[in-house]
Amino acid sequence: MSVAYQVVGKPMPRTDAQSKVLGQAQYTDDLSLPRMLFVKVLRSPHPHARIRAIKTSAAQKQPGIVAVLTAKDIPGENSMGPIIKDQQILCADLVRYAGDAVALVAGETEQAAEVALERIEVDYEELPFVFDPLKALEPDAPVAHEGGNIGTHMKVRRGDIEAGFGQAAAVVEARFITPRVEHAYIEPEVALVSLDAQGDVSVWSSTQYAHLDREEVARMLALPQSRVRVRQMVTGGGFGGKLNPHAQCYAALVAWKTGRPAKVHYHRDESLIASYKAHPYVIDMKLGADREGRLTAIDARLVGNTGAYLCQGRAVITKSVTHVSGVYYIPNIKADAYAVHTNTVPCGAMRGYGVPQVAFALESLIDELADRLGLEPLELRMRNALDTTLPNATGQIMPASIPVKEMLARAKTSVESLRPLLKETPPGRKRGIGVGCSSRGIGSIRKASRSTAVVSLHPDGSATVACGHVDLGQGSDTMMAQVAAEELGLDVDRVRVITNDTAISPDCESTSASRVTYLSGNAVRFAAAKIKTRVLDLAAREFDCAADEVKMRNGAVAHREQGLSLAALFGKNTMHIITEVAEHLPATTPPDPETGQGKPAGTYNFNVHIALVEVDEGTGKVETLKYLAMGDVGKMLNPMVVEGQMHGGMMMGMGFALSEEVKIDCGVANSTFATYLIPTACDVPRELIVDVIEDAEPTGPFGAKGFSEGSLDPVGATMANAVSNAIGVRVTQLPMTGERIHQLLRRRGEAVLKAVN
Amino acid sequence: MSRPRKIRVTINGRKVEAAVAPNQTLAEFLRCHLSLTGTKEGCDTGDCGACTVLLDGKAVNSCLVLAVETHGGSVTTIEGLSSDGELHPLQQVFIDNGTVQCGFCTPGMILGAKALLDENPNPSEEDIRLGLAGNLCRCTGYVNIVKAVGAAAKVLRGGK
Repeated sequence: MSVAYQVVGKPMPRTDAQSKVLGQAQYTDDLSLPRMLFVKVLRSPHPHARIRAIKTSAAQKQPGIVAVLTAKDIPGENSMGPIIKDQQILCADLVRYAGDAVALVAGETEQAAEVALERIEVDYEELPFVFDPLKALEPDAPVAHEGGNIGTHMKVRRGDIEAGFGQAAAVVEARFITPRVEHAYIEPEVALVSLDAQGDVSVWSSTQYAHLDREEVARMLALPQSRVRVRQMVTGGGFGGKLNPHAQCYAALVAWKTGRPAKVHYHRDESLIASYKAHPYVIDMKLGADREGRLTAIDARLVGNTGAYLCQGRAVITKSVTHVSGVYYIPNIKADAYAVHTNTVPCGAMRGYGVPQVAFALESLIDELADRLGLEPLELRMRNALDTTLPNATGQIMPASIPVKEMLARAKTSVESLRPLLKETPPGRKRGIGVGCSSRGIGSIRKASRSTAVVSLHPDGSATVACGHVDLGQGSDTMMAQVAAEELGLDVDRVRVITNDTAISPDCESTSASRVTYLSGNAVRFAAAKIKTRVLDLAAREFDCAADEVKMRNGAVAHREQGLSLAALFGKNTMHIITEVAEHLPATTPPDPETGQGKPAGTYNFNVHIALVEVDEGTGKVETLKYLAMGDVGKMLNPMVVEGQMHGGMMMGMGFALSEEVKIDCGVANSTFATYLIPTACDVPRELIVDVIEDAEPTGPFGAKGFSEGSLDPVGATMANAVSNAIGVRVTQLPMTGERIHQLLRRRGEAVLKAVN
Repeated sequence: MSRPRKIRVTINGRKVEAAVAPNQTLAEFLRCHLSLTGTKEGCDTGDCGACTVLLDGKAVNSCLVLAVETHGGSVTTIEGLSSDGELHPLQQVFIDNGTVQCGFCTPGMILGAKALLDENPNPSEEDIRLGLAGNLCRCTGYVNIVKAVGAAAKVLRGGK
């Protein structure tokens, strides 16, 4: 049965768009306070060293310097991290990567602070270091982090792997390497902190999780959380990278010690050097299928370089390993995933969260296997695709909203339509078509995850939604307003959504894991529905009818010819506000640590992408001629927002596929946008089609589920398959820079020559 | 440190006289001195384009221009683009085409697009992509930005 909705499902510009095009939206760095201090961070130049002594007196004496602070100035706990708090806010005795924070300088001007930074003397004893995660696993490797270099080992065990490979008619295996990737939000990290007359702390910040800012600042200052109030300002992108409130802690410590407002604003190079990244992986994977093209077994070893700190490494690795079989049913699985410490910049959450890396490996091997079996790549995919009866790698069966086979069928039509274009390849170029698929559990995988919303209806027929899932630009505030408006029969502009203030909005955990639509969307809907029930009951009493005979629309209630404004209804009942609280806590079971088996996600999102690429044989440069991104979103709450997310995720994936790679010399080597290359407008495929598949998720708000990361997940895989198809050599390392592809072409040329001679 | 220099510059149609440090960038001058915070700073090295403003009608990275260099010139920032509460057609198409996400690149992107359209009122899609290649956006994948600029060109050609 299809239900006609008034507000949800309609394309609608986001509620903050006008303030942004006018330049009026207030980001954190747009705020200044009287007597505000500027804070700079001294960072370790060494990848691994013991701090013998820090002398701050010379810096302290510089003109315009108000404070120089080190670890010993921290009144509470000196630790931070989005999940695992294994990083010191200011290093007390050890630095573990070149970029670790050692001291803070607070000055009257930014320039004064920068000058004084140079005058801090740190006596370091350099220690042996390791950058390569495979070397870090060797027995005599330098220890990058106390407790050993294996930060985490997560497993999946299903069936009998030996029996599975025994049944295989073809087996393929390879090692795949993926890059360390930077989020590259255009707004760098920034925080402003001040104290009020009672000594309570106010934080304004660019953040993905205002309540974590509050928790970390309170813990560092040994204050109750009730004395810290965080307001997330308009945030210039996050993509997973603004979940560790280091800038917030630095500003708070200075404000606390000096009594003056303090601002921390990273320049781009500091953001690139010190913010955590997406994990680079080394993946050894082996995949087998029987003669009929049924996958029989997969064996995988995933090594993620988590850098100096684990922060989110355990959760990222868990996401990877539980998604090792992608959109396929594979009866026999053995997968081991490790988060390995090295003396490099820490890695944590980034859009994709460990899925794009495994999708690249798996989808590449699917193509190789199809080749061995003499099957079309899409045919092999179709024969093994998950449906409502088959379990994924965690043993979870999704009873609904799993349109993989439908998507593959559509993909087949698209690929057929692209094939004639292969014949139009210009001289000096090679063309190829590639397909890539991905699956993603929505929300946290390692633990249950809850969202809470407080919705209030006012007598004038307006409503307020308080829900702590901050909007980073993805449009969730607009969608939450739509959800409440739909349920309460209001226009969207009568609903105000407040997600950004810890004093008003309840903690909903972080804006991450594609979880806001699914979790908070439901919480908002449930709370609004409770309000509606109360209003209808009150009206039914007035109209002397049954509640289900009352209509609630545009701030009024009606039954046949009788009508009442909400103001009148509230007045008759001496009411000034109706407030309801609701939450959504999907019933999940975290993966078992020994087998990875469980029911880790409330719902899953699926993506199938297709690319037609052209490779320049002279330079190795890859150009994307056509790209089709098919994404399953349940039902769309706002098609304009969905489309925007799919475009953005797809292009972020294009960076992962073609150009982005954070390099390490001592610390981060390429710390500018001139050397770390994210896609520009010129890198957009000549033709990009977004195809949204709507297959309602019964447990989601109005059938919706999360999708923001999914549009990135299969891009690396899709592009690698297309390029491999074009050049006739299997690509096993991303990004596919011109240089790398050129080398593959040259080696292939040499091999052909050798064979001829 | 050298002494501040006096400059006279027209900002968004208003004459401004100010004493600025010789090493102060135009971006800092706009943001800190004049509180025109619609101009955003994303990299300070001229790589991201978030701080794009118009200097004598041309798009510049205001982080790479010194305030003293604008003496006698005319600067347009995002705050100067709309008039009497009426959005510039570029601003309107950016809203209508779902072009705005986090919005941090938006002011620079709109001004970069304005410079492009002032010079080439009828750009091809390729022209638009090339013209905006110096303005980085991480949220939108550029697709709707390119579409919006094309739509704005149409509106502007129509004499609206």
